Amino acid sequence: MNLSLSRRPARKADVWVHLARDENALFDPRSGAVHLLNDTALAIWDLCDGDTYPVEMIDAVCDLSGMHPDVVTEDIERVLSEFDRVGLVEWIE
Amino acid sequence: MQVDGQVRVMLVEARSLFREALRTVMESEPDLRIVAEAADANEAVATAERVRPDVAFVEVNLPGTDGIDVVRRIRDRVPHCRALLLADEEETGLLLRAIEAGASGFLTKDCPLARFIDSTRAIHRGEVVIPPRMLGGLLSHLIHRRREQDVAMRVLSRLTPREREVLGLLAHGATNDAIARRLVISPETARTHVHNLLGKLDVHSRLQAAAFVLQNGLLEHLAGAEP
Repeated sequence: MNLSLSRRPARKADVWVHLARDENALFDPRSGAVHLLNDTALAIWDLCDGDTYPVEMIDAVCDLSGMHPDVVTEDIERVLSEFDRVGLVEWIE
Repeated sequence: MQVDGQVRVMLVEARSLFREALRTVMESEPDLRIVAEAADANEAVATAERVRPDVAFVEVNLPGTDGIDVVRRIRDRVPHCRALLLADEEETGLLLRAIEAGASGFLTKDCPLARFIDSTRAIHRGEVVIPPRMLGGLLSHLIHRRREQDVAMRVLSRLTPREREVLGLLAHGATNDAIARRLVISPETARTHVHNLLGKLDVHSRLQAAAFVLQNGLLEHLAGAEP
């Protein structure tokens, strides 16, 4: 998956978020699937507001962490690909 | 500044019981060493300057001032020291202020003691420690701030180089006469530049123009304009 400059991921409205002390999960009532999220994925999920471009996510993580953009891009690309693959997000042009 | 490979830690916390707990748990780790403790803001800054720790844990509620100011002062005076703010609860506004003050981490006091150990090592390695649930909100804020700065930079690009110089001086509080003297131009020309740049920035006063510069962190883009 190549991160598009022109599309913004948006959380599907009917997906439930469950935050427990040691575990974060998304529940998709359409498929009945539960998806466990690590801390990074949870932060990316929060940013899937339909308004934020993936490149903005990358820039912000780089600013905060000082990590190399290639590493951050790979991580965010992987998380968004997974959200996309299991149908948790839709893409807004 | 490591001695024998140890991370030198300073604890800034008003309550001695909490300091005792942190000290006990940290001193059980061979790679960590508590080198100083302080219970109020002024003592904390003075001690940090003297002891120059690698990592400082700073409580947010300190007598005299808040912990965020202490973080800022320690970072100013001991730049290599990485600071971590200790808060009572996860509060996004507090986290943002802490990061802007130069903190490398934010923890709540109710987190497991092992987290303090891990976090000390992590921020000493150069990592940033943020409670996972707060990360999305923080990133969202950074994204919005960057957007605002991009817009501000586009507005700034409408100014001529001379108007940028004038804006920089104006942001430092210079009067038209002071601007004129600094740029070796007449007061009337200075006034004309100010009038033109206010129009381009779409603001109605010098104060608003100065606020535009400061709020968007644009002073560095107006370099050479110090009065």
